[in-house]
Amino acid sequence: MSDYELLPESPLGGVEIELDGFNITEVTDKSLVMVALPREKFKDVESSIDKSCGLQLPEMECSTESKDSSITLWRLQKNQVLAYFTYEGNDAESHLSSRLSAPAYYTDQSDTWAMIRVSGNRSREVLERICPIDLSPEVFSVGSVSRTVMEHIGTIIFRDGDDSYVLLTMRSFGRSMLHAIEVSAENVL
Amino acid sequence: MIINHPLLGPRDSEEFVYLGSTDLINRPTNWEEEASAEDFYQYQYIRDNIAGDHQELWYHEQGDQSWLVVSRNTLTHEITKVELAQDVARTMGRGK
Repeated sequence: MSDYELLPESPLGGVEIELDGFNITEVTDKSLVMVALPREKFKDVESSIDKSCGLQLPEMECSTESKDSSITLWRLQKNQVLAYFTYEGNDAESHLSSRLSAPAYYTDQSDTWAMIRVSGNRSREVLERICPIDLSPEVFSVGSVSRTVMEHIGTIIFRDGDDSYVLLTMRSFGRSMLHAIEVSAENVL
Repeated sequence: MIINHPLLGPRDSEEFVYLGSTDLINRPTNWEEEASAEDFYQYQYIRDNIAGDHQELWYHEQGDQSWLVVSRNTLTHEITKVELAQDVARTMGRGK
C-alpha cells in the first residue's frame, strides 16, 4: 500500500493581502458550529450556557461572548445560534458541546465556510460598495452580525472591531468573494 | 424594493424569494373526503389576479430563512405591512 499523507488546507490557502493600510486576511484559527435550540428547551439551554461559559443567548443579529472571550455566539435565526470560537482541531462539534454542555443539537460547519477578515481604517468604505445592509457605526455596532448577499454571494458579515469585519461565504465561493473585495478595494483606495 | 423585515429591519428584496398569495397557508384539511378533490383544485390552481392590495408570501432565503407575509400594492409596489408568516398562520388557527 502506498503511504499517503493528507494535509488539511484552508479554503483560501491562508491568503494575506495588504493594500495601503487595508488588510485582507483569511481567518484560519476559528471553528464554526451550528447550535440548534429545541423549542421546549430554550430555558434549559440559556441556563446551561450561562453556567458553563458565562454566555447569554444573543438577540437577533447580535453576538455574545463567553467569559474567557474564546466563544462568540451569533444569532442569525430565531431558533439557532452559530458558535464562532478559537479552535483548530478536527472535532469542533464535540469540543463545543462539551464546553457548553447544553441540551441542543450541534453541527460542525467549520470546513464549509471561507472566512475572510477585512481590516484597516478604510475597511467600511470598501465594504459599503458591495454590502446592501447599512454598515454605519451607529447601526452596525461592534459585535453586530448579519446574513445578506454581496455580489450575488450569500455572506455572513460580523463586525469584530472598530475597523475590522469578518466575512463568511460558502467555501466554494471563497475565491469569488476575495476577488469582489479586492476589486472594491482597488476602486476605493 | 425594500422589505422591512419585522426582526431584522429593512432588507433588499434581492435577499428574498417570492412564492405567491397568502391563500397558500390555507391548505385544505379534508384530504380524506370525496369533496377534497375540488378543494385541492381550488387551492392549487385558482388564483385571483389582484390589481391593488395583495397579501403574499416571501421567503428570506439569503437571510434568517423566515417566511413573511408582505402586504404589497401590485400597482404601486408600495409595501404597507410585513409580518412573520408563523404569526399569521397562528392567528388563522394553523401550526403550533
